[in-house]
Amino acid sequence: MKREPIKVLLVDDEEDFVEMLSLRLETVGEEVTPAHSGEQCLEVLEGKAIDVVILDVKMPGMDGIETLREIKRRFPAVEVILMTGHGTIESAIQGQALGAFDYLLKPADFNELMEKLEAARKKKVEQNR
Amino acid sequence: MEELRLLLVDDEEHFRQVLAKRLSRRGMAPEQAGSGEECLTLLEKQPMDVVILDVKMPGMDGLEVLRRIKERYEKTEVILLTGYANTQDGVDGIKSGAFDYLSKPVELDHLAGKIKQAHEKILWEADREREAEFREKMEQRMVAAERLASLGTLAAGVAHEINNPLAIINDSVGWMQLLLNKTDMAETPIKGQLEKGLDKIAKSVERAKKITHQLLGFARKGNSVFSEVNLRQLAEEAVQLVQKEASYKEIEFVQEADASLDSIWSDAYQLRQVLINLLTNAIHATGPKGRIKITLQKDGEQAMLSIQDTGQGIPQGDLERIFEPFYSTKPTGEGTGLGLFVTRGIVEKLGGTIEAESRLGEGTAFRIKLPRVHQNHGGLEEDGRTGWLEKVRDMADKPTSPGEKPS
Repeated sequence: MKREPIKVLLVDDEEDFVEMLSLRLETVGEEVTPAHSGEQCLEVLEGKAIDVVILDVKMPGMDGIETLREIKRRFPAVEVILMTGHGTIESAIQGQALGAFDYLLKPADFNELMEKLEAARKKKVEQNR
Repeated sequence: MEELRLLLVDDEEHFRQVLAKRLSRRGMAPEQAGSGEECLTLLEKQPMDVVILDVKMPGMDGLEVLRRIKERYEKTEVILLTGYANTQDGVDGIKSGAFDYLSKPVELDHLAGKIKQAHEKILWEADREREAEFREKMEQRMVAAERLASLGTLAAGVAHEINNPLAIINDSVGWMQLLLNKTDMAETPIKGQLEKGLDKIAKSVERAKKITHQLLGFARKGNSVFSEVNLRQLAEEAVQLVQKEASYKEIEFVQEADASLDSIWSDAYQLRQVLINLLTNAIHATGPKGRIKITLQKDGEQAMLSIQDTGQGIPQGDLERIFEPFYSTKPTGEGTGLGLFVTRGIVEKLGGTIEAESRLGEGTAFRIKLPRVHQNHGGLEEDGRTGWLEKVRDMADKPTSPGEKPS
């Protein structure tokens, strides 16, 4: 039985990072849309069905927390996994209070990322049935 | 007042004996010497605070003896006894460093007074010296702390910047590993070699990641969240978290807790981190089927928490350095040398102390003392000193430190 790919929106201002993680996720069969800023992320969400957003916290312009707030306001069905470069738990706690599904520390362990992606998608599917 | 060490030097035996007896009656019993030479020999064996020195002596005269004493025993004070109306000797003596002079015949009250003054001067100077030493030590410690603080800030900045490229390397490697396992690559003769290389890169990223995460953990802004913490429960949680690693070695955990020790006021998140760090270390140090004992005790206003393993122990020389940053005895690549450094930082931030005791072949115990009730914002230790890390953070955060302990 073929598994349904997870529709991932990957948001990070590090273009190389977005490119390589997208390639990796695509190789295991997921469907990835890249974005390099909070604004771009919201634009994508306007026109495309997305299951899970992987969102970098620290970005120039609109940062991850702000973007998360907007996502949850305008697209509440979409799950968000925060990706933080800090060893700080604070932004993660703040994010979770704002409705993020989970968080990961950069550089993230790929298996952990996959588990969280899977769990986030499951939650989304269950809540929107 | 400290015991006064007094030496009386005069060639006239009778005069000397009488004066010594009278001084003894006033509680200032002197040692005696009958000549300058004898005086110097005696001083070599027995340091003196005050020397009462006759100027006019056959052989080496008093002024010469005085010069030699001042040359060799800077701190010894000399009171000269000059002949009647011979003030010139006295003046010369003071120029050579005598504390004062008295002319014979000596009035005992006068002499006793001078001896006391000389002794006070010595004590005062010793005090001043101790104070200067202490100040210098504190200054050195502050310099070291400041250096560590700026090192910490720099290291955190570097760690943060490095995490991004690390993430890119990480996913590039992961992607290539995936590609190698696609069916069309399985036939490639060098597949094994490529896999080996990629595996090494992946492992190195993992290693670098450990370092950057710990550095960032150390530099974490110090807003502790204080609440009631049940130490027993916290210890159980921490054990649960490391249980899996311990089970491979069949290590047994024993917990002993004072029934009277209830909750303390502290930061649960950070304390858990401390416990996990120490338990993980203990697991690494302990051989198969070993035992790790966690003890919780109430000790007056403090809670004491100890973690004791049955590992190989830490040699004395290493024990002194284990809390230093980047100091590790684990094989290169396994320990970051930051675990205990961060642990101590957290404990001190929470107003506590940590110490280690070890016996080779028997094991190591880490003892943490924490205030049961949080004293003040400043994180004061039990003896009133502020933890150095807190001080460093205060210096870095704001020009003046708030929340001084009210006097």
